[in-house]
Amino acid sequence: MNLTVKIGKMVMKNPVTTASGTFGYGQEYAEFVDLNCLGAVTVKGISREPRQGNTPPRIFETPCGMLNSIGLQNVGLEAFLKEKLPYLRGFDTNVIVNILGGTIKEYIELAEALDGRVDAIELNVSCPNVKKGGILFSSDEAIFRELIREVRKNVVNSTLIVKLSPSASSILSQARICEEEGADAISMINTIPAMAIDIESRRPRLSNIIGGLSGPAIRPIGVRMVWEVHKTVRIPIIGMGGIMTAGDALEYILAGATAVAIGTANFVDPTTTMKVLKGIEDYMRNHEIEDFSSLIGGLIWDREGR
Amino acid sequence: MSRLNRAEVLNNIPLTDREFILRLKLPPGSLSPMPGQFYLLRATNTFDPLLRRPFSAFRWSDEWVDFLISEKGKGTLVLKSLRPGDEIDLLGPAGNYFPPPSGDMKLLVVAGGIGIASVFSILREYNGDSVLFYGARSSDALLIRKDIEDFSGEVVLCTDDGSIGFKGSVVERLRLYINERTPEKAIVYACGPEAMITALKTYMKETGLRGYISLEERMACGVGACMGCVKNTSEGMKRVCIEGPVFPVEVL
Ligand SMILES: Cc1cc2nc3c(=O)[nH]c(=O)nc-3n(C[C@H](O)[C@H](O)[C@H](O)COP(=O)(O)OP(=O)(O)OC[C@H]3O[C@@H](n4cnc5c(N)ncnc54)[C@H](O)[C@@H]3O)c2cc1C
Ligand SMILES: Cc1cc2nc3c(=O)[nH]c(=O)nc-3n(C[C@H](O)[C@H](O)[C@H](O)COP(=O)(O)O)c2cc1C
Ligand code: FES
Repeated sequence: MNLTVKIGKMVMKNPVTTASGTFGYGQEYAEFVDLNCLGAVTVKGISREPRQGNTPPRIFETPCGMLNSIGLQNVGLEAFLKEKLPYLRGFDTNVIVNILGGTIKEYIELAEALDGRVDAIELNVSCPNVKKGGILFSSDEAIFRELIREVRKNVVNSTLIVKLSPSASSILSQARICEEEGADAISMINTIPAMAIDIESRRPRLSNIIGGLSGPAIRPIGVRMVWEVHKTVRIPIIGMGGIMTAGDALEYILAGATAVAIGTANFVDPTTTMKVLKGIEDYMRNHEIEDFSSLIGGLIWDREGR
Repeated sequence: MSRLNRAEVLNNIPLTDREFILRLKLPPGSLSPMPGQFYLLRATNTFDPLLRRPFSAFRWSDEWVDFLISEKGKGTLVLKSLRPGDEIDLLGPAGNYFPPPSGDMKLLVVAGGIGIASVFSILREYNGDSVLFYGARSSDALLIRKDIEDFSGEVVLCTDDGSIGFKGSVVERLRLYINERTPEKAIVYACGPEAMITALKTYMKETGLRGYISLEERMACGVGACMGCVKNTSEGMKRVCIEGPVFPVEVL
C-alpha cells in the first residue's frame, strides 16, 4: 500500500498531519503519539517576537465545537529555533511551521529565518483573533497578493503553504491568487469567527468577545470549501476542520484534499492522528486501493444534478 | 505506564441532588496522584459534550480514585448518570501538586464549596499539624461530613447563613484564627470559588502569610498544547493544566 503524498517539495510518508495550534510544538503529545508515524507535525503559529496572547477566558465549548481566542500566544522565533525545533528534528517526520505577523516585513523575516531549516512554512493570513498590529491580510486581496509574492521570494528551499480563512470574501479568488503567486499548496480551513453569550451575566463567554469556531460543527463547511477550491486550482490542498475520524478525513480527501490535518480532535482524544491513519489504511484495504493518491478528489458527482 | 486509559466505574454515589462521588478503577500499575493533581474525564463517544472535563483527585488507593463532583452542565450531567460497570476515558494524573510542607509547619487547609475536593487529600497525605477551614452556603452544602468527623485534626466549619459553625466566610474565620493563635510557622493550602480566592489572596498578601492556591480555568487539551487555560500571573501567562493548577500566592 502506498500512502506517500507530495506537497510542493515536501514528501510525506502518509497524508496525516496536525492542525497548527492544536498540537503545541509536538513535544506535548509525544507521550501519546509516536511522532515518527505522522506525515508531518504542524506547530503552533510563530511570530517574530514572543506573544502573550489574549486575556482569559480564552475557550468555550459550544455544541459539537469550541470557540477559542488564544490570541496567538507563542514562544517567538528565537526560542522556537533554539528550544523547540531541535527536539522535532530528532524525529523522522516533516516539520511545518505556521507563521504570523503584523506586517509584511515581519512575515518576510520569519520566512527568511526558517527557509531551509523546516520542511514547510504555512502562512497564517487569516487568524481572526489578533488585534495588535494585525490587519487581516485575508480581507484585502491586493495586500494578500503582495504578501504571498514577497514571502515567496524568500522561501526558496522550503515548501510554501498558504492557510485560507473561511471568512474571506471569496475563498476561490484567494485560492487563485495563491496559485498565481507561486504558493506550493493551500491549507484550509482556519476557524470560523463566532461568539457565545452568558445570558445570566449578559457578558460574552470569551474576554476577547469573538473567537474562532472549530471542531466537528464546522466540518461540512470545510468539506464544501475544499471541494470548490479543488475544482478551481491545481496546487495541492491540506484539508482540515472538524476531522474526528478516518471517515471524516476521507470526506476531505474525496473532496480534493491531498493531505489532512487533525485539530480540535487532539484535545478530545490525543491519539486521534494514529486512529485516522489506521482507518485510512483499513479503508484502502477494504476497497482494494493500492495507491492513496487515486483517492484524492475521487468524489463521484453528476454535473447536472447531484 | 500511559496516562491515558479506559477506566471502569466502580460506583457512583449521590451526596445531594447535585453532588456525587464517582469511583473509577485505576488500571494496574497506574501512577498515583499527589494532592492537588487532577484528571480529565470523558464519558461519551459523541461530540456533545465534546471536550474532556477536569476534576481533582479527591481520594485514592492503588486500585481506585474517587472524584467529588458538582453537577454544572452537560459534562457533569453525563458523569452523574454513570453506573457501575460503565467504562470511561481517563487522562491523568495531570498538573502540578501542593508542595509538601517542609519541617515543622502548621497546615492551614482552606476549602470553599466544591474546592474541598482538591485539598481534602492533604489532610491524609501530608504529615503535620493540620487545621481544616471548610465553608459553604449552608449546613446542607457542607459535603462529606462523615469523612470530616473521621479526621482527627481540628475542623472549623463556616456557613454564609450560620446554619452550622461560624457565620461568615472561611477567610474571615481564618483571620480570627491567626489573630488568636499567631502560629509561628504556618502554610496555607486553598481551593474554592473566585470570591473566596480573591479575599484570601488579599489577606495573605497583607499579612505575608505563605501558601498555595489551586485555580480553575476551562480546559481543552489538558496537556499544555492549546494555551486555552492560562491565568495571568506576575510571571506572565501560566497554563493551569501544566504550570498549575497550584500556584504560590506570591505570583497571583
Ligand atoms: C484543575 C481543575 C479541577 C477541578 N476539580 C473539580 C472537582 O474536583 N469537582 C468539581 O465538581 N469540579 C471541578 N472542577 C470544575 C469542573 O471541571 C467544571 O465544573 C466542569 O468542567 C463543568 O462541566 P459541565 O460540562 O458540567 O459544565 P459546562 O456546561 O461546561 O459549564 C457549566 C458552567 O460551569 C462553568 N465551568 C465550566 N468549566 C469550568 C471550569 N473548568 N472551571 C470553572 N467553571 C467552569 C461554565 O462557565 C458554566 O457556567 C475543576 C476544574 C479544574 C480546572
Ligand atoms: C486552540 C486553537 C489554536 C489555534 N491556533 C492556530 C494558529 O496558531 N495558527 C493557525 O493557522 N491556526 C490555528 N488554529 C486553527 C486550526 O489550525 C484549524 O485550522 C482549525 O481549528 C480547524 O480544524 P479543527 O476543527 O480540526 O480544529 C487553532 C485552532 C485552535 C482550536
Ligand atoms: S488546556 Fe490546553 S494548555 Fe491547558
